[in-house]
Amino acid sequence: MSSESKEYRHLDKLLVSSSPHIRSPESTSRIMWTVVCTLIPAAGVGVVVFGWRALIVLMLSTGAAIGCEYLIQRLRKVPITIRDGSAVVTGLLVGMVLPPTVQWYVPVVGSVVAIGIAKHLFGGLGGNIWNPALIGRAFVHVTFAEQMNSGWHLLKPSRLFVGDVMKVAGENVDAVSRATPMTLIHQTVTGGEPEGINSLSEVLSVSQSGSGPFMPDPAHALLGYMNGCIGEVSVIALLLGGLFLIWRGYVKWYVPALYIATVAVLAALLPVTMHVNEMGLGDRWIVPMFSEGTGQATLAVGATYVSYHLICGGLMLGALFMATDMVTSPITRKGLIIFAVGCGVLTVLLRTYGGYPEGVCFSILLMNTAVPVIDRLCKPRVYGTGKAVAGKGGK
Amino acid sequence: MVHKFNGGVHPLSHKDRTRGLAIEVLAPNGVLAVPVSQHIGAPAKPIVAKGDAVLRGQKIGDAQGAVSAPIHAPTSGTVVNIAPINGQFGRPVMAIHIEADGLDAWAEGCNIERDPDALSPKELLDIVREAGIVGMGGATFPTAFKLTPPPSKPIDAVLLNGIECEPYLTGDHRLMLEQGEQVLGGFRLIRRILGAKIAIIGIEANKMDAVAAMRKIVGSEDIEVAVLPVKYPQGAEKQLIKALLNREVPSGGLPMDCGVVVQNCATAAAVWQAAAKNIPMIERITTITGDAVRRPGNYQVRIGTPFEQLLASSRITSEANKLVLGGPMMGLAQQTSELVVTKGTGGILILEHAESFEGGPCIRCGRCVEGCPSGLVPSALSVLGENLKFDEAADFNVADCIECGVCTFVCPSRRPIVHYIRFIKDELRRQAVREREAAG
Repeated sequence: MSSESKEYRHLDKLLVSSSPHIRSPESTSRIMWTVVCTLIPAAGVGVVVFGWRALIVLMLSTGAAIGCEYLIQRLRKVPITIRDGSAVVTGLLVGMVLPPTVQWYVPVVGSVVAIGIAKHLFGGLGGNIWNPALIGRAFVHVTFAEQMNSGWHLLKPSRLFVGDVMKVAGENVDAVSRATPMTLIHQTVTGGEPEGINSLSEVLSVSQSGSGPFMPDPAHALLGYMNGCIGEVSVIALLLGGLFLIWRGYVKWYVPALYIATVAVLAALLPVTMHVNEMGLGDRWIVPMFSEGTGQATLAVGATYVSYHLICGGLMLGALFMATDMVTSPITRKGLIIFAVGCGVLTVLLRTYGGYPEGVCFSILLMNTAVPVIDRLCKPRVYGTGKAVAGKGGK
Repeated sequence: MVHKFNGGVHPLSHKDRTRGLAIEVLAPNGVLAVPVSQHIGAPAKPIVAKGDAVLRGQKIGDAQGAVSAPIHAPTSGTVVNIAPINGQFGRPVMAIHIEADGLDAWAEGCNIERDPDALSPKELLDIVREAGIVGMGGATFPTAFKLTPPPSKPIDAVLLNGIECEPYLTGDHRLMLEQGEQVLGGFRLIRRILGAKIAIIGIEANKMDAVAAMRKIVGSEDIEVAVLPVKYPQGAEKQLIKALLNREVPSGGLPMDCGVVVQNCATAAAVWQAAAKNIPMIERITTITGDAVRRPGNYQVRIGTPFEQLLASSRITSEANKLVLGGPMMGLAQQTSELVVTKGTGGILILEHAESFEGGPCIRCGRCVEGCPSGLVPSALSVLGENLKFDEAADFNVADCIECGVCTFVCPSRRPIVHYIRFIKDELRRQAVREREAAG
């Protein structure tokens, strides 16, 4: 940098702008690309657990998102903003909420709907009301329902990453096929299958062998070795990424904390139905936390049930990365608290009493809908108004 | 006991460049141009003519009305012209041009020895008014007017603002270190004028040497020297009142509405000078600094000194492309450096490689809401301004914005939020004028 010094200097050609004249180093693209980095661990575990097909799904969803944004901005003749990384975040998230066995067009359609409809039809970055990745997922959930509700395969431990997750039969079987833990829980608590299960503890200890559904070993579940969508299986990887975002200040800690806590409390206390016996006689309502009584060993059953609610079904991914999307969540602290609790309530209600074993996606979308009203009603207190000025205070 | 104010931000302070530099006194030479308007309120009316000889401290312009201030000759010499010069608001301002004769001789009655404690509050007020003292923290509000609140608003607390929260600036810091006796002397007089029970000096924690100096001078007197955490805008009047007294100025009101008056430490020193020595406001401390200034400094400089005299020895780099009067958060960017030092020039900031920011869409990250010390939703205001929705902006309390710049500083989209807010306020002001005129 040249440091010419002059005895006298007359300065003109000066930049004139409104104050302030300095800026913090933060930028939109820095935020977006940081989020991408924090998603990579969870996506990585998904690729390991589900194999190279999962990698292709992620690449397709991300590529389609970028391509769609580029095309739309070209057509509209507005500046191309793919470098800010927001399309990459959306594309990656779309891929992460898909099962690993979907056909190539599913991630592409999901991303095109997410970027084209949920984002750019609303005016582009900052203008959308609904989380684009979740809109994309909701769309493919309904449009390609069969693919989205089946194909829950998992690579065998000996074939991680290299195996073909579609090979579940015939020679060289690479993967096993199971219903997801959430599906199992959902079926049970809505008074459906499986038969012969008379209590929560029986559900939770369903054997892992055989072709029936199984509840994953807790350690496996935390690491990510379980059925589910590509990016939602590894709690530890998601937490690592999420905690980093909290540390950086991009995510307010109380949003995922309240969301998860609300789910935990409601899952423990909301009554669910259990079949009593094969004949379907005497369906009874139980409160999961106390279903086996209130002794210490039996509270553990309730606690295990609650912990599966937290670990499975995309709650971690949703609480850390979807409910915390800046554009589609409230802008004030009060509003965010209401939003987080609302997401938690809806998630448990949908999971426990709803038709799908899925609650996170739709609960967040529903709360997104409420955000404009929440923002209106939850404005912060303006300095110099309200109770603070009632008295003269003191010293 | 120090309280918190909501919001705020921590920009890099850059004060290490000049905090250790003792005040350099710049002797007057050449032509000094004293503007008739250096304060809020009506400009002064010149009472000298071209060709007149003037002495240092002699009154050269009368105050016009209650919210106004007189102006005085900063040195002895001859009035060579009464003509406009570049003003800090981008418009020319009338000024009295005085060519220094090198003698720097005092006017009669100035620079005497007087016991300020023997003066009554009314006498002190007259002295402050006659001395042309205005708020030196940048607002330049006529001090005599500020020290005359109506009887319906009794004052029980007076605060001395030694915060200097703007990055880069260190003038007040050095003043408290080197001329602390005068600062305290003036503060005592202000307290006596107002009859305030509570007197607190507020200093930010990045100036512990000034805290020690002031505490030593205060001794066992009943004045508290409070240390406040470093957070911008701690030195904003409303936030200071909240932090030191846990009171809030009512929306739309003034500090006197909650029994408080706040004065900058340099203003207090000027009050002491006027009371104890009958010296009017003819000089001030200015920090010239910035990343384009190779030789920054704190200067004691006469009002009316052309900037070129300060720039000449400051070694400005060739990439300098922004000149700001004041600090980087709230200062006024200038079109030219051909300006003079006025009563409000606390800092001259010269920046290089300054960028202009286009600003993208609001991504609703909420950083501006977290940071706003007034409890507003700046992002909403910026979007309303962008879309010309002025009336809705009024519902969002746009009038309570103190334009501190925190929102714009933190915005990742680089939106010019304060600029939108000024745009809205301007339009609402015009609307109000139109309505008043229509009502007849």
